[in-house]
Amino acid sequence: MAYELQDLQLIALIERIGARHLSGAPAGDGEAALRVLYDLTSSKLYGVALRVVGNREWAEDALQEAYLNIWRIAGDYKVTLSPPMAWMGVIVRSRSLDFLRRRASERADAALELDDAISETVAGDSPDPMDTTQASEQAWALHECLRKLEAKQREVVSLAYLRDLSHSELAEQLKLPLGTVKTWIRRGLDQLRGCMGRFA
Amino acid sequence: MNLLNHPDLLDRLAAAYGLGTLRGGARRRFETMARQSATVRTAALIWQERFSSMTELQTLERPSANVWKRIENLIVRTPVVAAQPKETAMLEKLRRGLGLWRGAALAGALASVAAIVVGVNLGREVASRDGQLAQVQQRGTQLAAQNVQLTSQMQSMPQIQYVAVLADERSAASMLVTFDPSHKMMTLKRIGDFQEGPDKSLQLWALMPSGGPKSLGVLGTQAVVKMTAAEGEVREMPALAISLEPKGGVPGDRGPTGPVLFKGPLLQTTL
Repeated sequence: MAYELQDLQLIALIERIGARHLSGAPAGDGEAALRVLYDLTSSKLYGVALRVVGNREWAEDALQEAYLNIWRIAGDYKVTLSPPMAWMGVIVRSRSLDFLRRRASERADAALELDDAISETVAGDSPDPMDTTQASEQAWALHECLRKLEAKQREVVSLAYLRDLSHSELAEQLKLPLGTVKTWIRRGLDQLRGCMGRFA
Repeated sequence: MNLLNHPDLLDRLAAAYGLGTLRGGARRRFETMARQSATVRTAALIWQERFSSMTELQTLERPSANVWKRIENLIVRTPVVAAQPKETAMLEKLRRGLGLWRGAALAGALASVAAIVVGVNLGREVASRDGQLAQVQQRGTQLAAQNVQLTSQMQSMPQIQYVAVLADERSAASMLVTFDPSHKMMTLKRIGDFQEGPDKSLQLWALMPSGGPKSLGVLGTQAVVKMTAAEGEVREMPALAISLEPKGGVPGDRGPTGPVLFKGPLLQTTL
């Protein structure tokens, strides 16, 4: 399958970056591999950063931090046993969350330019915005199950995870009653549990 | 209640744990059970893994070309790294005279040229007459190649123009700060053994001639931290300070909230 081939390519690149300090590694090979890895994955990872921090400037800073992080810890990738895009996705999410926490108190009123789109999704029932380019088998399963949720449930579940938000933080950000958020999350999770169980 | 007898409840808690919405006491109790039971632990890990693939479903967006340029600038290895063993002596020089940073790197480069010249001479002594000429010619070619390489190294070498040694109360140097205006890059290198606790962060401040301290950024835990700064800003900073703050740092507008651990004047080097 296509994603397996692509995974192998990404894994090889991450390993070249991780091996750049070892004797026998050609000079500049790590840098070259990072460049290719960046070209192949930055659009996807930028999409994640943008979703988490909600602002292009911050998302670019978080993306930069994420690739520097990948550059430093590529040697540890192998032991994680994760699909490469999932591994990088977790790094981008973590750096984006760090960024959000640092900035939250600094510029609390800064415009979250992309959050209007999220409010619209929660209010109405807009079509599925998910994208399965570069998705692993596991991400496919999650995609199929999330697709079956109502748009507003899918949105609160996605945001809860991506932004690491509690029920009350979600209610505050989405300007919804706490009870509503709790109900949507509970129903969303119950449906996901039933659905994901069938993929296990 | 033993969760192991209630698989449906276990799955529900594990899903909420993986999503991150299980909070407070409920989360702590679940974590305790996970440490005691492999079944609970496995359920938690499965849901963590499932949700982690959420990052793979976000829509594609192309970042601006600047992001790669910044990454590239930060990963390029600089000859400063090669000068590390001389650091202690360097610090003394910096304290007294300053501005020898580039000089030391240059000395290193010249030393390797000298080593090659010695090599040429030794080669002459042991070589047979017939081989001599060819060998010298070959060495000459190598030297020429080496010169090209050195020239390109010199060009990519950071143009350090500002240096600060931040020291604690007992004047023990703890942080070496250099600024390279051509790359707009400030490099902080930890030289003492101070390590902040896991719930703390170090924050860098510019002590401005007028107005309060200005936050320049929060340091990561790594030994060398690079941050971007504009030369115009740096030129106006008489001194830098580092304070100990809660994890992630504090908002820049109200100044440091924790103790100032290290400080020192920022000095322009003479090239």
